[in-house]
Amino acid sequence: MLQTIELTKRYEDGLLALDALSLEIRPGEIFFLLGANGAGKTTTINLLLNFIEPTSGKALINGIDVMEQPLETKKHVAFVSENVMLYGNFTARQNLDFFARLGGKTHLAKSDYYNVMRRVGLQEEAFERKLKTFSKGMRQKVGLAIAIIKDASNIVMDEPTTGLDPKSAAELMQILLRLRDAGKAILMCTHDLFRAKTVADRVGIMKEGRLVMLRTREEFLQDDLERIYLNYMQEAVL
Amino acid sequence: MIRLIAKKDFLLNLLSVRFIIGFVLCLVIIPFTVTVSVDDYLARVRIYEIEQKKADDGMKKARVWSAVRPVIVTRPEPLSIFSAGITNNAGNSVKIAFDACPLFPSGHISTRDNPLLNAFFSIDFSKVIAILISLIALVFAYDSITREREDGTMKLSLTGQVSRISFLSGKLAGLLLTLLPILLFCYLLACLIIVVNPGIALSAADWGGIALLFFSSAIYMLVFILLGMFISGIVKSSSSSIIVSLLCWIWFLFLTPNISTYLSQSIVKTPLYDNVQSVMHDYDKAFEEDYFAVWRRIRNEMGIKNLNFYNNRDGEDGLREITGGTRTAPLFLLRLYPEIIPLTLSNADKKWALQRNYLGELEKQQRLQQRIALLSPSELFRQITEAICSTGAGNFLKYMEQIRYYREGVIRYFTDNKLFASSLYFTPQPLEEYPAEEEIASLANEEERQARIAKNSWMYPCLDTSNVPVYRQQQPFSLPGALDGAFTRLAALFGLVVLLLAAMIASFMKYDVR
Repeated sequence: MLQTIELTKRYEDGLLALDALSLEIRPGEIFFLLGANGAGKTTTINLLLNFIEPTSGKALINGIDVMEQPLETKKHVAFVSENVMLYGNFTARQNLDFFARLGGKTHLAKSDYYNVMRRVGLQEEAFERKLKTFSKGMRQKVGLAIAIIKDASNIVMDEPTTGLDPKSAAELMQILLRLRDAGKAILMCTHDLFRAKTVADRVGIMKEGRLVMLRTREEFLQDDLERIYLNYMQEAVL
Repeated sequence: MIRLIAKKDFLLNLLSVRFIIGFVLCLVIIPFTVTVSVDDYLARVRIYEIEQKKADDGMKKARVWSAVRPVIVTRPEPLSIFSAGITNNAGNSVKIAFDACPLFPSGHISTRDNPLLNAFFSIDFSKVIAILISLIALVFAYDSITREREDGTMKLSLTGQVSRISFLSGKLAGLLLTLLPILLFCYLLACLIIVVNPGIALSAADWGGIALLFFSSAIYMLVFILLGMFISGIVKSSSSSIIVSLLCWIWFLFLTPNISTYLSQSIVKTPLYDNVQSVMHDYDKAFEEDYFAVWRRIRNEMGIKNLNFYNNRDGEDGLREITGGTRTAPLFLLRLYPEIIPLTLSNADKKWALQRNYLGELEKQQRLQQRIALLSPSELFRQITEAICSTGAGNFLKYMEQIRYYREGVIRYFTDNKLFASSLYFTPQPLEEYPAEEEIASLANEEERQARIAKNSWMYPCLDTSNVPVYRQQQPFSLPGALDGAFTRLAALFGLVVLLLAAMIASFMKYDVR
């Protein structure tokens, strides 16, 4: 379970990037965090993953404070970032092996890596190819495979569909659904409203560091999510 | 986790183009440099052997004590192949004379056979290591942090079971794993070229010195790895990092040494040696006047009207060798030298007092230059290698001090054995063989007179100089000695490692991975 309690981040230049965010993403749930650039989505992720320190409040992973026990919390979380370059001179399998070991999975066989790569839809011939020859979509799949092989109970994704072709994005959503069904708590920060409507269990809209709207799947299917979102965005522009 | 990251970085580095370029550079530059240094060393050894033989012959063939002038020829150290220091710019021999204290050596200075080619400088192994290894270390380390950030792999890594300190340690270990073999390869290549050369014999202590050089080079390399990582940890992009790294490299390797020399010369002004020589010349003139005053007084006291030397060989440094003629000349010299020698030695002391002041200023300037140069790890490394190879200014000054001390020992030997007061000081011919003036006058014809007075020095045996104190070759190279000479600077270099490590950790702990 991913949880933030009154989580606030003010940067050194005085910018209030996150303002008392309280959020809870439960096991078996896909949570889409929407918002314009600078709304505070990535800051939320950075705080959850302990990349930056909060000004106040708490970020918890499976009930453990990320500030107090960072290494312990990292056992329970996997991360997929927007632009996964990985190590170009390593093959897909070597990249997977390295990050799996970093994540604590030290006894995996080659077949385990191949299975995960098949699961994310990577072609067999690419398994032992150097990553520098991969397209962005293929690299994104390897990034997702890295997150899956860690087998953490929580997955945090920062705009993973950016730059993906529609087919790859659709495949990614299918994988997300399977992960949710496996009981993972998934936080996905994105601009992709269409995907949110397709797979999200809950949607939150952020604006200027605050969570300004929170809807369950039933609620946002009844409302016109696009209109609500655009209203918030327009206000942000104004 | 540290091992895992180190292994990953090692493998990635091995697969990189910069590794191949670095390796090829070492493969081309090191053999070339070492071959040139070995040739230079062998040439210096040949010159040493020739000059040493000349010096030994000079001692063996001396027939009068005034001709005994021990010449100390400096034997090149095999380790000078690694770091020539100032040995190529200093002479290789010192002549012990009574009329002057040796300030600097004279003799052969390493230059090319063709002086027109001297504009092209040649560099030794340690300088190549200083330039090449620092550059390779920076080229490998400049993007160690920024690249991970730019590729998004740092975030992914830090999401694993790895702390920032482990991540950093792994990166550092990976760089060391990559670069240490390159450094080791350079040394092995250099040693191989030396070992296969039959003209060079390395002692166990020399091998210890090479091991110490390798150790120092490894610390030096570590400084630049840490510098590159530190820069990589404080800038945002790899492009900024490479620019800052290269600027630092140029500053440390090329600007600081020149600036330190310029500053030291500007702050500590030394008198021109021409001025010192001019005052010394005045002293010599005064000495000459005293000398001739004594000469005239003794001649008058002895009632000598015409003082003639039959066969006379004399030199500016006090050499006099006479043979033949009547007894008047040797009796005159027998009275002259015991009075002149103290004046000669006193004049030499007066001149040395001037030279010592001059040398003191030079040393002050050199010390200041070394202190300012401590701002550069490359200069520190140069000083360390020179101290290990006994080719630095410090060793040189100590060597000259030992030679001056040796000169005092020679003077003491002459005084204790009353050689200045002996007729053998100026003539190999026994006094009783010299005919009196009256005896010559009593001889009837010129032929008989000539037969009585015509003598040559080759008619007399050479002196036995085996008891003259022998200069013990500048303390032979020893590992503890080398370590002792380099210890302070090694400690300073190590201190720099600790400082950079602390700075790097401190900056990376706050590093914004976003």
